[in-house]
Amino acid sequence: MEIQLSQLMPIPLQDKLLQRNSDIWNKEVTFQQGTFVKIKAPSGSGKTTLIHYLYNIRYDYTGQIRIDRKPWPSFLKDEISAIRQQSLSIIFQDLRLFDQLTAKENVELKRVMIPEPFCTSEKVEEMAHRLKVAHVLKQSGKTLSYGERQRIAIIRALSQPFKWLLMDEPFSHLDEENTKLAARLIAEECKSRNAGFILTDLDHDQHFSYDVNYNL
Amino acid sequence: MREFFHLLRKVIRTGVARSRFLMAAVGLGIAMLLILVSIQTYTDFNQLLYGTQNQNETADFLVINKKITNAMMGQANKSAFSTEELDNIKKQSFVQSFGVVTPSQFRVVAQAPGDLHFATDMFFEAVPDSFLDVKDEDWKWEQGSKTIPIILPNDFLNLYNFGFSLSQDLPQISQETVKALPLQINISGNGKSDSYMGHIVGFSDRISSFLVPSSFMTWANQAYGTGIVNGTTRVIIKTPDPSNPKLVKFLDDNGYTTNQDKLKFSKTRMIVQTIVSVVGFFGLILLFFALLVFSMFIQLVIAGAKDEIQLLVTLGAAPKQLRRYLLKQFVPIYIVVGIITLLLVTAFQYIAAMALSRHNMLVDPWPGIGVFGAIAMILLLVYFVNWLTVRKYVNR
Repeated sequence: MEIQLSQLMPIPLQDKLLQRNSDIWNKEVTFQQGTFVKIKAPSGSGKTTLIHYLYNIRYDYTGQIRIDRKPWPSFLKDEISAIRQQSLSIIFQDLRLFDQLTAKENVELKRVMIPEPFCTSEKVEEMAHRLKVAHVLKQSGKTLSYGERQRIAIIRALSQPFKWLLMDEPFSHLDEENTKLAARLIAEECKSRNAGFILTDLDHDQHFSYDVNYNL
Repeated sequence: MREFFHLLRKVIRTGVARSRFLMAAVGLGIAMLLILVSIQTYTDFNQLLYGTQNQNETADFLVINKKITNAMMGQANKSAFSTEELDNIKKQSFVQSFGVVTPSQFRVVAQAPGDLHFATDMFFEAVPDSFLDVKDEDWKWEQGSKTIPIILPNDFLNLYNFGFSLSQDLPQISQETVKALPLQINISGNGKSDSYMGHIVGFSDRISSFLVPSSFMTWANQAYGTGIVNGTTRVIIKTPDPSNPKLVKFLDDNGYTTNQDKLKFSKTRMIVQTIVSVVGFFGLILLFFALLVFSMFIQLVIAGAKDEIQLLVTLGAAPKQLRRYLLKQFVPIYIVVGIITLLLVTAFQYIAAMALSRHNMLVDPWPGIGVFGAIAMILLLVYFVNWLTVRKYVNR
């Protein structure tokens, strides 16, 4: 799956962004399948906005985002759902877990949403072990710490098949050691799927061996 | 998909205002019950009226004529039917077959045979044979024959036997004797006069008139008639149901009249029909409100879980999945309500059939096909309305 950006520009940030130089905004950019993409973005440069545009939950932009040469607006609702279930996964900056479900159920919800689940329930447990959150799986989403939530959100994103994984500051609440564990798991899962990711963060980092680096 | 729905149950709470929803379900049940009972009552009533088990003769014959009012007296033409009026009667849905009663256009004098010095002026009429309740092989006439078969009204003989003869000290006469009596019939008109033998072949309960075969009537009207056609004043119809309110209304509207006794069921039937319609109507209104409450309830559930539904769609849940989930939360309740209602109606019908059979009125102990059709229709309607509502609100 190929993601192409063409003259993409957020309408609300237009005036501000036109004054600075960006590798992404208002440019022609193509993300090839299987590449690890890092987008470094200072605060207020539209980092989360970009992720939301890519995931097609915000539409206030000019220009185009094409998925396999097809612009987002031309997809039907059920086609979008299918893409989100099979080809495009996401870790939101604000995590977006269901408070009324336990940690495990939050992952399960995503896992069994697909008629034929991609991975087993045991695999989920195993990932939780590796990220040291196995002990909180039965806790309600409400009672988890930010760090725990972030790791559950990561596991949730990895419980489905995907060709691209979108990550918006995925380690913002994790310490160095846990970040390493999470990054290793994400890299493994991406490789096994032959998938790529787009990661946005504030600073430079060495969590992954990035193929491409952009400045937003 | 089951596991997914199981988790959805925790996210999209359908439990809000559960009691109100159950009350609406009860309302739906009552609505269905009213509608089904009214349909079943109608079916039963029709069965009692038309069912072959409940009746020996399915059709009935009515002789229809215009009401003679004071204003019409002395103007024979006014009691005759015009061609349009006849056509109008013919094309009514309740008329199975139709015939005119042909009057004689000549003078008739009947004389008793032998020493009974008895003579009377009389008249003849003729109707198509298919309308007669007397079947006799002598009931035919061919040109040249001097014997005329005659059918008398049964009432006529009764009047004589039980009214006239007793008071006049005359002997009572049996039907057989009358049939054996040779009558001398003198027919005159058009400057001619001839003598015939009258032979009584039977007695009619259906038509109160002196009847001769149509073939004789046609010939005699030509031979002795004045040529002035008086027009048809009486018609006879065969109708499957003399209590049909449409028939009664038709007669009233046009100022026609017939043997009122045969129409007596009509009123009962109209009362039953009215009650059944009113009950059915209330059922429909109730159904409408139940549908309204369900729609509002679904709206409430969806509005209450707006954020959750939004997040589910963001995470990749297909609107199709969510719609199916929501419908699955409601539809089984409707089906259960439908089944309970159907069982109740079946029980009612069985009890009613048992009670009626004690009075020799036979109805089917099972609900009619109309009931099953209606319940299927109602359930489909409820499903459709629910589907529309869910579709409308889970599509963003």
